[in-house]
Amino acid sequence: MCKIGIPRGMLFYDYYPLWAEFFEELGAKVVVSPKSNKEILNSGVLSCVDECCLPVKVFHGHVDYLKDKVDYIFIPKIISIRKMEYCCPKILGLPDMVKFSIEDLPPIIDTNINLRKNSYTSSKYKKAVYEAGKCVIKNSSKIRNAYKKAEESYQRYLYLLSKGVIPIEAIKMYNKTFVDLNYNSKKHDMSIMVVGHPYNIYDEYLNMNIISKLINKGIKVMTPEMVNKDEIIYYSAQLPKRMFWTYGRRIVGSAFSLIERDEVDGIIYLSSFGCGIDSILIDLIERKAKNKGIPFTLLTLDEQTGEAGIDTRVEAFIDMMKWRDKDDFNISTLR
Amino acid sequence: MENYYLGVDVGSVSTNLVLIDDENNILCKKYLRTQGKPIEILKEGLKELKEEIGDVNILGAGSTGSGRYLADLIIGADIVKNEITSHAISSLNFIPDVQTIIEIGGQDSKIIIIRDGIVVDFAMNTVCAAGTGSFLDRQAYRLGIPIEDFGRMALKSNNPVRIAGRCAVFAESDMIHKQQLGHNQEDIVWGLCQALVRNYLNNVGKGKDIKGPVMFQGGVAANMGIKRAFESQLGLEVFIPEYFDVMGAVGVAMLARNEVKKKKFSNFKGLEIADVDYKVRGIECNGCANACEIVEICGDNKILARYGDKCGKWSNIKNENTKLA
Ligand code: SF4
Ligand code: SF4
Repeated sequence: MCKIGIPRGMLFYDYYPLWAEFFEELGAKVVVSPKSNKEILNSGVLSCVDECCLPVKVFHGHVDYLKDKVDYIFIPKIISIRKMEYCCPKILGLPDMVKFSIEDLPPIIDTNINLRKNSYTSSKYKKAVYEAGKCVIKNSSKIRNAYKKAEESYQRYLYLLSKGVIPIEAIKMYNKTFVDLNYNSKKHDMSIMVVGHPYNIYDEYLNMNIISKLINKGIKVMTPEMVNKDEIIYYSAQLPKRMFWTYGRRIVGSAFSLIERDEVDGIIYLSSFGCGIDSILIDLIERKAKNKGIPFTLLTLDEQTGEAGIDTRVEAFIDMMKWRDKDDFNISTLR
Repeated sequence: MENYYLGVDVGSVSTNLVLIDDENNILCKKYLRTQGKPIEILKEGLKELKEEIGDVNILGAGSTGSGRYLADLIIGADIVKNEITSHAISSLNFIPDVQTIIEIGGQDSKIIIIRDGIVVDFAMNTVCAAGTGSFLDRQAYRLGIPIEDFGRMALKSNNPVRIAGRCAVFAESDMIHKQQLGHNQEDIVWGLCQALVRNYLNNVGKGKDIKGPVMFQGGVAANMGIKRAFESQLGLEVFIPEYFDVMGAVGVAMLARNEVKKKKFSNFKGLEIADVDYKVRGIECNGCANACEIVEICGDNKILARYGDKCGKWSNIKNENTKLA
């Protein structure tokens, strides 16, 4: 059986169900690299060019892990996924960067996905789907059917996200027949939005489990992926200049939406060292949050980030929110 | 007998201990170098406290600093609090309407913005050393001037020289260059103080709404040159509290007092713990690709704690250790 490797990095949390179901429908075996760990990070840092951002380095580590275990590795060249918008240049250059930096790779399936001028129903997109599937089986009707089936699974995944399920969990449960959606609806004292690119907020190794840490403290966690698409479009349109990066628009739009609708008590922006796009997004969101009096903090991740430093900042941030709320630390009571 | 509360601040550079009473008077303070041996130094501090004050009634204890969870294990803290909150609490007690707290220690620095007695914003320095005490230590060493004299010399400067302070390495070569040009030492020292403050304001203080009253604390606050440099660059008066170097410990002692009064008992194990023999051992786990370095602490022939793992395999040995970072 043909083995297709999917690295657990970059746009994994956006598309994994779609990609995996597609290849499996075609009869391939999908091999996913494990969650990021020290070995993967180290091998990624070693193989990737120095000046790259952290998530791309980690992605290299995932590819390196898979390279001897599979027949193909799927790294699509995702140029644009929405009309008149682009992905970050580093996402677009991902397959080329990997091929340049890592030796002895199996063939890479680097299908071009470019929807800048076309839609998902266009013949160009259909051709891209065929391109991706033909390594497994050269049969266009089978490929078409497999994609349709994969689409259905993917819609279930998106539905879970819209119901407030965190992608890390949704990936485990999208193909279960019974899903208990009530687990996230219990009452919380506080809600925090963890915002940033999906590969920063959902990589539990890179961000030292920040989402579970917050949940364990009884805090409701919201992320951009949970915010309704129309809300994102509506609120990102308030920007004086159009945001032409798809992820930038999602990040800013979702944060603006939660801030304006008063649905969060605080915002933690997770950024990775060396990301140029983030510096603009951070500024936009921080200003909006300050304007509305919502606590905001930035955590920057790099190879050397220490867990103690992240924990201290998160704890201080939560104290700060509680302090406003309840006078928990009222000095007069301290005597 | 008077009642006292212990505050412990275990940081990477210094370990501080204070005893305060119900009126926030400080009975005794210890400022020790951590030297990478937090447990030993903490024990030493406790021993010194005991020798100095004899038998007093310690009703509660709190820990803060990056080693706060470790300190909790040893002393039995009633509250474990991060440095930001601890500093804010003690500063508000000294200047109730303080709006900005600048803290610069040996290897880290922070800024805390307060409005109406509430923390509204804060930042801690990231990887860069140019805005911390170690920057000055290093330049003092190069100049062959004891760091204690730095502040006094800086205040004597008449012809300030500008030293590039963006990065510790740049600053050093720029300083050497200025030395070769024949600038006198006072002016160079003052230039270094200005460079550190500029760097702090551009990194840690970036985008922060700095308003007076401003408090300046942490080990570096001993340096009058830095205080002056802050005042000249901010155009605001800068206050240094009497116990500037142990403010975190004071804050957490206050929080501990609050906590003990609320819950009516204390977890504090008593100063006698200074005599317990703690052993620390490093273990490299080969359970998976993370290859975590586990730290194990034993005392009284019991395993007190293990931490440093990513998966809980080691730290879950006892329930009470689950709060370990
Ligand atoms: S958006 Fe930033 S983090 Fe993401 S790939 Fe581009 S540079 Fe890297
Ligand atoms: S402690 Fe856990 S995560 Fe760390 S190396 Fe061992 S098994 Fe892996």
